Amino acid sequence: MRELVFFLEEESAKALLTGLLPRLLPTDRPIETRFIVFEGKQDLDRQIERKLRGYLNRRASFIVLRDQDRADCRKVKRALVARCIEAGRPDTVVRIACRELEAFYLGDLRAVELGLRVGGLHWSSIS
Amino acid sequence: MALKSITIRNFRALQHVELKDIPSFMVLVGANGTGKSTLFDVFGFLRDALTGNVRQALDARGRFPEVVTRGHENEPILVELQVRMPIAEVSRLVTYHLEIGLEVGRPVVVREFLRYKRGRYGAPYYFLDFNRGSGFAITNEEDFRTPDEKLNREEQVLESADILAIKGLGQFQRFKAASALRQLLENWHVSDFHISAARGRKEATGVMEHLSETGENLPRVAQYLYESHRVVFDEILNRMRQRVPGISGVEPELTQDGYLILRFRDGTFKTPFLDRYVSDGTIKMFAYLVLLHDPKPHPLLCIEEPENQLYPTLMSELAEEFRDYSHRGGQVMVSTHSPDLLNAIRVEEVYWLVKSDGVTHIRRAADDEQIKRYMDQGDKMGHLWKQGFFTGANPA
Repeated sequence: MRELVFFLEEESAKALLTGLLPRLLPTDRPIETRFIVFEGKQDLDRQIERKLRGYLNRRASFIVLRDQDRADCRKVKRALVARCIEAGRPDTVVRIACRELEAFYLGDLRAVELGLRVGGLHWSSIS
Repeated sequence: MALKSITIRNFRALQHVELKDIPSFMVLVGANGTGKSTLFDVFGFLRDALTGNVRQALDARGRFPEVVTRGHENEPILVELQVRMPIAEVSRLVTYHLEIGLEVGRPVVVREFLRYKRGRYGAPYYFLDFNRGSGFAITNEEDFRTPDEKLNREEQVLESADILAIKGLGQFQRFKAASALRQLLENWHVSDFHISAARGRKEATGVMEHLSETGENLPRVAQYLYESHRVVFDEILNRMRQRVPGISGVEPELTQDGYLILRFRDGTFKTPFLDRYVSDGTIKMFAYLVLLHDPKPHPLLCIEEPENQLYPTLMSELAEEFRDYSHRGGQVMVSTHSPDLLNAIRVEEVYWLVKSDGVTHIRRAADDEQIKRYMDQGDKMGHLWKQGFFTGANPA
C-alpha cells in the first residue's frame, strides 16, 4: 500500500495538513497518509532516526516538516537530512517552513501587522 | 490464580470481545467511551451476581434491557472465563461459562457450566452443569483420572433460576470445583477508590486485612499492617518518604473515644497532621502502597486510571509495584490515559480498545508488527501511543 508519512513537530501542523492535503493529493490513485506528531522540535530530532529506520511499510514515502523559527534554515535542513541518511532513508523529503507553518494560513505576518496596525504577530517584533 | 482468557458477548458495547493469553499484568488503553470501564464492570458484575443473584447484579446496572447490547436484545449475555486454579490441591485450567437470558420478563441463568478438557481431543469433563436452576455437580473431582461413568454426579435444584450454581453449591465443601471458583471470584478486587471515603475517623472494631474497594477502611488496614506485619508497614513508609516530599511518617492512632485516625508526619513540624489536612495525592499514594503490599494479594486486581492525582515521574515505580504484585500471585488489570505510565509498560502487557459501529474491539500490542519493531529498537509504549501507532485507539 502506498503511504505518505509526515513527521511533524506539533499538533497544529497536523491540523493544517488534514485540511490542506485533500486538495493536493491525487484523487484517481488512492494514497494513505499518516501523521506522526512529536512533542516539539527536540523530540522530533531525537526520535526521527528510529522512526525512519524501523518503519515497516516498504512502500511508504516520508516528509519531515519543521518550523524554522529563529534558527538558520540551511543548518536545520542539513542536520535533518543527515539524520535521514543515517537512518537509511536518503529519499526522505525535508522541508523547513520559513518562518513557521502558521504563515501558511496568514501569509506575511509583517504585512498583517502593518495592515491592521497591530504589533506582536511577526517573530521579529516579539523579540 | 491466573485468568487466561475471557469471552464476553452482548454486555453493553462488548458485543463480542475475546481476550486471549492475558498477561499477569495487563494495561488497557482506549479513548473515552470505548468500553474500558465496561470491561472492568464485567468482573464487578460477576462478583455481584455471586454475592447476591443475577437479578440484583442486573438491577444495579439498569436491568437486563439496559445491559444487553442494543440490537441483540433476544440473545443471552454470555461470559466465559478460562482460569487456572487449584481444585482439590491440583492446578487445573478450567472453563467457566455463564449465559443469562430474559425469559417472560425475568432474568434467568440459561446455562452455567464448569468444564475441564482432559486431553487435546478428549471429551470435556463437566464438574458442574446447570440450566434454568437445575443440573448436576461432581463430588469426586480429586479422582481426576476416573472414567466418566465412575464420577459421582449429584443432581441439584437451586432455590431459583437467577442464582448462580457456584453460589448455591459453592458453600458445600463436597463440591470442590464450585467452591474453589466461588472463592476466587469473591476475592476479586475492582477498585472504586474515593479519596474522601478514605479520610477521617473510622470505627475501630474488628480486624480489617484488606483495603476495601472504596478505600474507606484505609486507617484500619494501616493499623492491621502496623500491628501484624510491621516489616510490610515499614517498607510502605520507606516508599512514602521517597515519593512524597516532606512526609517522614504515617501513624494510625486510636482516639480516646474508640475511633481510628491516620496522622501524617511532616519532617519540619513536631505535631503530625490529621489525614484531612493532607493532599489527595498523598492519601492516594498511601492507599496504593497499602493495597499493593497486601500480604495476601487478591487473585485479580482491577484499577481504573491509577495515575490520577499522582505526580507523573512516579509512574515507573507504580508500574513496577503492579508487576511485583502480579509476581506475588495477584493478577493486575489497569486502564490508563497516562503516557508516563505507559512508558514504563512492556509491549506484551498492553491492549487497546477500538470502537466502531457502536461495538468494542480489542487489539493486542504484541500482535502489531510495527509496534514490536519499534519496541525492539528501544522505543517506549507511551511515545508510540501518542504518535498514533495504536491504530484506532486515539479519538479521530
